[in-house]
Amino acid sequence: MSEFLTVKAIRDAVAAGTVTAEEIVKNALAKIDLEDPKIGAFLEVFPERALAKAREIDAMKARGDVLPRLAGVPVAIKDNMLLMGEKASAGSKILQDYTAAYTATVVARLEEAGAIIIGRTNMDEFAMGSSTETSAFQKTHNPWDLERIPGGSSGGSAAAVAAGFVAASLGTDTGGSIRQPAAMCGIVGLKPTYGRVSRYGIVALASSLDQVGPFTHTVEDAMLIMEVIEGRDAHDATSADITDKPVAELLAPTMKGLRVGVPKEYFLDGMDPEVRARVEEAIAVFKDNGAEIINISLPLAPYALPTYYIIQPAEASSNLARFDGMRYGTRAPGALEDSYLTARSEGFGLEVKRRIMLGAFILSAGYYDAFYKKSLAVRNALRQEFDEAYKQVDVIIGPTAPGTAWKLGEKSDDPIAMYLADVFTTSANITGLPGISIPCGFANGLPVGLQIQAKPFDEMKLYTAAAAYQAVTDWHNQLPQA
Amino acid sequence: MDINLDHVAKLAKLRLTPAEKETFSRQLPSIVEYVAKLQEVDTSTVDAKAYLTDATNVFRADEPTTAQSERDAAVAAFPKSAGDALQVPGVFNH
Repeated sequence: MSEFLTVKAIRDAVAAGTVTAEEIVKNALAKIDLEDPKIGAFLEVFPERALAKAREIDAMKARGDVLPRLAGVPVAIKDNMLLMGEKASAGSKILQDYTAAYTATVVARLEEAGAIIIGRTNMDEFAMGSSTETSAFQKTHNPWDLERIPGGSSGGSAAAVAAGFVAASLGTDTGGSIRQPAAMCGIVGLKPTYGRVSRYGIVALASSLDQVGPFTHTVEDAMLIMEVIEGRDAHDATSADITDKPVAELLAPTMKGLRVGVPKEYFLDGMDPEVRARVEEAIAVFKDNGAEIINISLPLAPYALPTYYIIQPAEASSNLARFDGMRYGTRAPGALEDSYLTARSEGFGLEVKRRIMLGAFILSAGYYDAFYKKSLAVRNALRQEFDEAYKQVDVIIGPTAPGTAWKLGEKSDDPIAMYLADVFTTSANITGLPGISIPCGFANGLPVGLQIQAKPFDEMKLYTAAAAYQAVTDWHNQLPQA
Repeated sequence: MDINLDHVAKLAKLRLTPAEKETFSRQLPSIVEYVAKLQEVDTSTVDAKAYLTDATNVFRADEPTTAQSERDAAVAAFPKSAGDALQVPGVFNH
């Protein structure tokens, strides 16, 4: 059944009746059973639930009902997404016994569309990390090289797609947590425009930055997932009404006439020269296929990462205040204050404590203006700079990350080295703009990602450009042998 | 950069181990020094904005919509309860 590697192939085959949803799910479960012990993508699979849902789809088909858009397509969700009745731990010990009391809007929409939630995937604790190593539960290995990290924080969701366990999964991206692992695992990862996708039922990291998005092998598949999950949700006041939803069937991939901005700030001296070479080759592909390459400058882009490391810990320290053992997780013994301190100090890992401390410091009396308020001004200035750039270009392209997947443990003791893995991705979160990472070749045998960014709510440009690149290249069809 | 770890830990409601204190006393100042790069940027002509979306004051009707099953599940997820009552430690000393 190796031909069922894409959402579209599965969907079409189930609709045509050449395969049943139950066969698709059984096959996925068997593959996970056999191969995931060496990858570690899943924290838990939901075999009974998945098979029951698959049989429902097959019964609909047998009755001759019109099947919904994603009928029979297995999808993995990140461990910070709620599915009522199932555990959701956000990779943290403090939530290891939490059972979701309701279902996240994105997950509910997937199920309504006939997709089958097959399990929850490993992640950095509370999505704080770039390698999935801060998970309280297990390490995830990169399917291209088992000694290496899959990227993070949505590393389990990325590895599950790269390893061929599922055709699609969901991740969250607060500073690059979808795009960076997509790049390191050689697949497609989309961070939508802020407001495009509801976060209701997602464990919040930094509320002004978080977005949910898909991992897939193809751009078309990313569109198929987005069509289902995007749009206004009354439960998330920041979610936007989308009047003009892109439709996969109407996609007309082309690079002709596309104005492609290449910022000089996206090519750092310290970056992996092989990564740089792959990205330059990808830019040449755009040029050869009729795109206009425009060299631009975004002088504030180098400040995106330090801005991010103020806003994100500040918001995280506030968001994570709710985890005190009173309403969820494990209640620690003792009087109130003692109970709080014990639950939090024993429940959170080192990286989470580091960021909560950093956030509490940044927001504390005497430092608020110098750090937090300053970062909000730089954020606004950076957005204005991007708005200005998009007057002369349609998309901006560059590397997704400055290097390829590193060895497990290599950067664990150096937080700033770890944070630098997000140097090219945080600007999209800071400014709210959409970005996609697509595979553009290999550096020393490891996948390299090309990042394409566009104006707010102009995902159609991203799809058009990225699908056009996939139409003339073969990188997305290459699979790991590990 | 001098960071009073005990004060910050108190704000963060964390009880740090000696090893964590040692690690953070080295790491937090270097992270703060890194993010302090922002002081180089002239922001005299831009406003500080917490959100960049155009949306303001998004309201919805104040009507209960939560299903009984969700209510029951939320109670079940609560670490300590007696029937329908949720139990927490006392806030005031007797």
